[in-house]
Amino acid sequence: MNSQGSDRKGTLLLLVMSNLLFCQNVHPLPICHNGNCQMTLQELFDRVIMLSHYVYMMSADMFIEFEKRYAQDHEFIAKAINDCPTSSLATPEDKEEAQQVPPEVLLNLILSLVHSWNGPLFQLVTEVDGIHEASDAIISRAKEIGEQNKRLLEGIEKILSQAYPEAKGNEIYSVWSQFPSLQGIDEESRDLALYNKIRCLRRDSHKVDNYLKLLRCRIVHNNNC
Amino acid sequence: MLKVSALLCVCAAAWCSQTLAAAAVVAAAGGRSDGGNFLDEKQWLTTISQYDKEVGQWNKFRDEVEDDYFRTWSPGKPFDHVTPVTLGRASPILQRIIPDLGTRSPGQPQFTKCRSPELETFSCYWTVGNYQDLKTPGSVQVFYARRIAHEWTQEWKECPDYVTAGENSCYFNSSYTSIWIPYCIKLTTHGDLLDQKCFTVDEIVQPDPPIGLNWTLLNISLTGIHGDIQVRWQPPPSADIRKGWIALEYEVQFKEVNETKWKVTGPLWSTSVPLYSLRLEKEYEVRVRSRQRNLEKYSDFSDVLYITFPQMNAVTCEEDFRFPWFLIIIFGIFGVAVMLFVVIFSKQQRIKMLILPPVPVPKIKGIDPDLLKEGKLEEVNTILGVHDNYKPDLYNDDSWVEFIELDIDDADEKSEGSDTDRLLSDAHEKSLNILGAKDDDSGRTSCYDPDILDTDFHTSDMCNGTSEFAQPQQLKEEADLLCLDQKNLKNSSYGASLGSLHPCVTLTAEDKPQPLLSDETESTHQPASTPISNPASLANIDFYAQVSDITPAGSVVLSPGQKIKAGIAQCNSQPQPEVAAPCQENHSMNSAYFCESDAKKCIAVAPHSEVTSCVKPSFNQEDIYITTESLTTTARMETAELAPDAEMPVPDYTTVHTVQSPRGLILNATALRLPDKKKFLSSCGYVSTDQLNKIMQ
Repeated sequence: MNSQGSDRKGTLLLLVMSNLLFCQNVHPLPICHNGNCQMTLQELFDRVIMLSHYVYMMSADMFIEFEKRYAQDHEFIAKAINDCPTSSLATPEDKEEAQQVPPEVLLNLILSLVHSWNGPLFQLVTEVDGIHEASDAIISRAKEIGEQNKRLLEGIEKILSQAYPEAKGNEIYSVWSQFPSLQGIDEESRDLALYNKIRCLRRDSHKVDNYLKLLRCRIVHNNNC
Repeated sequence: MLKVSALLCVCAAAWCSQTLAAAAVVAAAGGRSDGGNFLDEKQWLTTISQYDKEVGQWNKFRDEVEDDYFRTWSPGKPFDHVTPVTLGRASPILQRIIPDLGTRSPGQPQFTKCRSPELETFSCYWTVGNYQDLKTPGSVQVFYARRIAHEWTQEWKECPDYVTAGENSCYFNSSYTSIWIPYCIKLTTHGDLLDQKCFTVDEIVQPDPPIGLNWTLLNISLTGIHGDIQVRWQPPPSADIRKGWIALEYEVQFKEVNETKWKVTGPLWSTSVPLYSLRLEKEYEVRVRSRQRNLEKYSDFSDVLYITFPQMNAVTCEEDFRFPWFLIIIFGIFGVAVMLFVVIFSKQQRIKMLILPPVPVPKIKGIDPDLLKEGKLEEVNTILGVHDNYKPDLYNDDSWVEFIELDIDDADEKSEGSDTDRLLSDAHEKSLNILGAKDDDSGRTSCYDPDILDTDFHTSDMCNGTSEFAQPQQLKEEADLLCLDQKNLKNSSYGASLGSLHPCVTLTAEDKPQPLLSDETESTHQPASTPISNPASLANIDFYAQVSDITPAGSVVLSPGQKIKAGIAQCNSQPQPEVAAPCQENHSMNSAYFCESDAKKCIAVAPHSEVTSCVKPSFNQEDIYITTESLTTTARMETAELAPDAEMPVPDYTTVHTVQSPRGLILNATALRLPDKKKFLSSCGYVSTDQLNKIMQ
């Protein structure tokens, strides 16, 4: 009986191990132990970059939609350009800089950037809803971006925990200089603030997308893309 | 003296104006420097917005077709709107250069475009407009400032490279380029501001055109007229797509060489595209352009690719495949001709019959048409006497009724001595021979043309048989046309007619008692004689049935029997001794003709015979000949139906299909409507074997 039991255990263990091995190499599906699902880094990056590109695309479309209303109002546009609150984050400003920053630092920066947009995105949805002239395209996109941003955050956290687990927790919690509150202000000011916000969103989502693509080439392909 | 003083005055004035101009410039410059404190963010931005508003030159950067991605920096108030006031007092030179800064006319020196091809460098271009003197190198300067980390650089820096990007350009290489940082550049000449512009680099991306266009042939249609090609190209080499720093999308345009309108395909993310259904004899041209995804500014078009297909042989055009109607017609005619020849010249009667079935000629066998013409009635009548099909239509049912004579006594005599005995005698061979004989006309109705095929022969046999039996149970002389005619012709008595009927009666007598097929029926044949004699009164009546119609085939259709009802009544009152007997006995005894299937059925369902036999004896006694209805009624009896449909006209006779044994005849059952098994057309008294089988089952 004992031998039988041990035989069974042995075969079971063998099965499990072979499953793990095969699954790891052949199938990109995550293998979950105790609620932690493991995916290959490449797969993780692919999914996260898909998300970030999607968010960037949505932001650009939203910006174009919003700008259509004020395309002829040059004065408005000129007044609307303001500083972005996320400018305080010292993100690399060109490709060479981005390639020189250590990956984990860059990942943390990205994480901070994405994280800092969670709140303003939530605000944006309510603000855009309030504008009765705002088209459904803007409102729907705002909601979509809000949703995807959270997933993006999770993805980046996963990458960080999987690739650089020791660097987790070094996130720079930026001092989020709030976007001006849109409560109780006149319509024009509200529109100006919104315009600036959407412009900043487009800019930041573009940053995140580009940084992640660079990182993928660096980490997953070892710069042999 | 005067000349000197004039000269001095002029010089003084010139100097004064110069100093004044210089002072004005200094004042203006100083004012600008005082007002434009770059460290003060708000004022800087206000300045920018003011400048943007009134300078209409930003429109210049807008593409005629597409939206301007510089819309962000649409014209606002010009920075210099302050200065015109100053400049109004400035030297005329400046006024000439900047006459009115409220608008930017095309002739003014201004920035035309700022562009970054790969998101790593950028360059700005300007035009001097109508002021050609500004073209001299060094007369125009470009300064830039950028804002990094909330801080504006303190001073304007001059353009690092005036040369690389061409004339009237300023090129910023990657070290001077920061992507998401606001830049401002200004165009100055000797410190005088000509134009100013602010932007961020990610907004001014306009890639280079794709390179390396080529095409390959995918496939050619079967007709050889159309073909599909795949156009491929390379992304611009400057764009770092590999690492993902910039992502491009493409637009492909193609058209025939002599067309004017381009066909557009895109935007595509891949670097190849198939073009379908191009005409191979024409030339095409293709061009591609790119742009960064999510932006709107397209690059310039690539070099045009000319597509010329190698000349295909026009003979390969296979689309003229016509169905070979001509061949088909020829072969069809040939085949028909062959068939006709075969038919016409073939000696084979069978084929001839198949293809050219004989049209029944109104012909009476043995009668010479000349006789009719000549009016020799007696001869005709005698001849006609031997034919039973002479008067098929002369009598209808009603007329038959007139001739009904119930002659019971005579029937007794005759049943004892004459007909019945003869019927039940063993003169089978003779009857067989008679039936078997095909061409013997004597004493036999020939209702068929000898040329008719064997099937018709069988029909004629049936006809013969039935015609022989075509004697009404009380109307024997009428039922038998042969005999009737003779009687009518000769006005003979019943006896005489009966005598003359001998041939028929003989036949009938001989034919009737022959049971079908089975040996069992033969065995039961002998005792059948007794029951027949018992209801002697009915025997003769039942022995014959009246003819109601003659079918075109020559067989006789008998009128429905009327004795069934009486027989059924009998059944209820008198349990016949034959009840216990198997039904086939009754059938065989009393009815000379019954269908094979019925016989089988009777044999098979012996246990049910008790119910059936009740009816059957009466049935058999009354009707010597089993009709289709009677057969089916007997079949239905098995299902505990004791009272058949009294209203139903039941034919009393069935035609003989074949003669199987010396004592057996197989009756035919005509076509019946299977769903209505109980009812039969009165005119159709014959059931085919198969259908009867179905009915019985």
